[in-house]
Amino acid sequence: MDLSQVAAGPYSTMFLGFMGAEVIKVESLSRMDINRGKARPGPDDLRVYPNGDPGERPWNTTAHHVHRNINKISVTLDLSADRGKELFRELVKVCDVLVENYRGSVMDRLGLGYDVVSKLNPQLIYLKISSQGATGPEANYGSLGSTLEQTAGLASITGYEDGLPLMTNLVYPDPVVGILSFGALMAALRRRLKTGTGCLVDLSQREVTTMLLGESILDFSVTGRVAGTMANRHRDMAPHGVYQCSGDDMWVAISVGSQNEWEGLCQAIGQPELATDTRFADPESRLGNQDALDQIISAWTEGQDHYEVMHLLQSRGVPAAPVVKGSEAIDDPHLEARGFWDVVEHPEAGTYKQVTTPWLLSKSSRQQSTPAPGLGEHNYQVLHGILGLSQGEIDTLVAHGITDDTPTE
Amino acid sequence: MTMTDDNILSDLSVLDLSQGVAGPFCAKLLAGLGAEVIKVEPPGAGDSSRSSGPHLGDTSTLESSALFSYINTSKKSVTLDPALPQQAQALKTLAKDCDILVESFPPGHLESVGLGYSDLTEANPDLIYVSVTPFGQTGPYSSYKGSDIVAQAAGALMYTIGLPDKPPLKVGGEAALYTTGVSAFSATMMAVYVRDTQGFGQHVDISAMEVMTVSQIHSSIYAQFGRTPARRETNLVRAKDGWVSPGLETGVQESTWLKVCELIGKPELIEDPRFTSQEARRANQQDLLDVIADWAGTKPKEEIYHTLQALRTITGYVATVEDLLVSQQFVAREFFKSLPDPEFGEVAHPRRSLPNGWQHLAVTPRTPIGRAQRRDTVPTPGVHPQ
Repeated sequence: MDLSQVAAGPYSTMFLGFMGAEVIKVESLSRMDINRGKARPGPDDLRVYPNGDPGERPWNTTAHHVHRNINKISVTLDLSADRGKELFRELVKVCDVLVENYRGSVMDRLGLGYDVVSKLNPQLIYLKISSQGATGPEANYGSLGSTLEQTAGLASITGYEDGLPLMTNLVYPDPVVGILSFGALMAALRRRLKTGTGCLVDLSQREVTTMLLGESILDFSVTGRVAGTMANRHRDMAPHGVYQCSGDDMWVAISVGSQNEWEGLCQAIGQPELATDTRFADPESRLGNQDALDQIISAWTEGQDHYEVMHLLQSRGVPAAPVVKGSEAIDDPHLEARGFWDVVEHPEAGTYKQVTTPWLLSKSSRQQSTPAPGLGEHNYQVLHGILGLSQGEIDTLVAHGITDDTPTE
Repeated sequence: MTMTDDNILSDLSVLDLSQGVAGPFCAKLLAGLGAEVIKVEPPGAGDSSRSSGPHLGDTSTLESSALFSYINTSKKSVTLDPALPQQAQALKTLAKDCDILVESFPPGHLESVGLGYSDLTEANPDLIYVSVTPFGQTGPYSSYKGSDIVAQAAGALMYTIGLPDKPPLKVGGEAALYTTGVSAFSATMMAVYVRDTQGFGQHVDISAMEVMTVSQIHSSIYAQFGRTPARRETNLVRAKDGWVSPGLETGVQESTWLKVCELIGKPELIEDPRFTSQEARRANQQDLLDVIADWAGTKPKEEIYHTLQALRTITGYVATVEDLLVSQQFVAREFFKSLPDPEFGEVAHPRRSLPNGWQHLAVTPRTPIGRAQRRDTVPTPGVHPQ
């Protein structure tokens, strides 16, 4: 059962769907997943729809919803109504896993927190993804991916030479938490195999994000050094950065660690004499002369195709890759060859290429993507098929505004 | 059967042949759930991350890397070189009894020394064999070399990070490689669960590029919906001692704005049409940030964070590593744990990357290179240099 919204939770349940689980996404008509956008979008909201067209049911076609809620079925239930709560409790009894990422105590206030649902279903695994974790003085604080990057320290080490901290604009903590959540759920399922009981999985997004800078924490605790921004440079490697290529805002990323890689780079750019230049003789010299290195490399990449630069450098054993745009990623030949993208035919949003899983398992292949569901699309399937309600009972629920397929606000 | 939460994997042993960040981080997470992890390093310089900065001492030694120390907690270390036939044979013997093998060699390398997936499954058919590489085991780039910045670039993560008038910017540190390790961990847990319930092992293929393509989260879908996400300006405001994001332009109730106007001593803004609705505040974001900046500049960043969060905003403050260690939230949840390092004394570690209560006691500091602690994990005499 998936009560989660926005990115981290929906990503984790998307992965569960890919690996074969039946994922029931529960929303209410007055509070849809924020990913669905507005019930009635205004002229400033159109950028999230396919080609700017919201269509007849805008809530079914936003980019975020279409892309993050695949492999799920959708049911609507008003969890503030008694009958809605009752049906929720029935549904909990037949689920293995519940995922939610509301602000700290929302589920408790609804009377549907872990204490309650674990009594209804002692085998239930309840994944609570929250900004700060379920305990502590900030347990009820709200966050976005971008504020997590700040409070977890990641922004303090991301930025250019001027030291201004920057966020990713990509809610980076959310996919990381989504990916980790999947493994945490698998661990909890294994625990259940051994013990026969479910558990609460209390996952703090801030803590997960802070683990991405562990070495800087160890370092500070011993030496007092506070890590800061380094632009695209690296503590040990040089050259290390992005270099402009031909085309509009096209770049290639290059990193040189070992001596072999350095010599490969000198060969590739047609300046083998650099390999014996004392300014660049060893890693320390290269770290000390990075500006000169960057100038030499930029002069070489300028005017070249960024994919061609990758192939040439990699043929000499030098780590390099184009700084790929989203529009290039969907046509990348390597991802294509590995079958990374699924082509999804969404009935309302059209055909598009979908991100899949950050792993390939040789014997547990992933399921083919099924399109993100329309709001309440599977009400009958869930309410009748799983909970055994008759059509008449469902009609009564609709009449009372507890379920339907059109948002109220 | 009863169990404590930190021994979910205590019946499993892991042979960690991987180097650098991603593979070893996966093995660290498995160790955190109680698995016995034997780290195998090449004799001499050991794991490449041993020479990576920052170093905890004045000089760089095999035991001084903070990166290595962080990523290799709770493991036992032995040195063996798979390129030497006798030592490859010893590794094969170790692999016969392990449940999970983690490796990060270039695709094909371990096959060439008789340690490929199909070589090892002859004697250990249920083995879970986890390969963690820059581009994966197959495909035209599979032999290509990688790094953190290369993964962020290739996976379409990096293009939209940074400011509009500057080059694309990578997420700091080794974020892509850690995330790759997280993916490897999650996939391994899936494979373990499948083995428990269906009785077979398998080969897990992790590509750092794909991990990043999953993490770019919306550039690829927007590109197909007719919009190109681009680098954009920051919404940070300078506080007295650092930076905050006030978080007033999205996700706050209308009553909150009124309270904020009172708080910052500018009640006249309540009537200001630039800010009277969430839409207006978003449309006039720069004006809003300027107004807040006058107030924020005199206040400590963490105080601003707590004050505005108390009004139910989504405020952030940019914490440095120094701030993290004194964060009351982290203190309350005992997120950092001090571990005694044999050379550098007490060292603070992020204690868990898994849920609260799951990783209580399992964390132990790195073992010095080659110093396996259990007799049954030490390979044939003469092979193991001590």
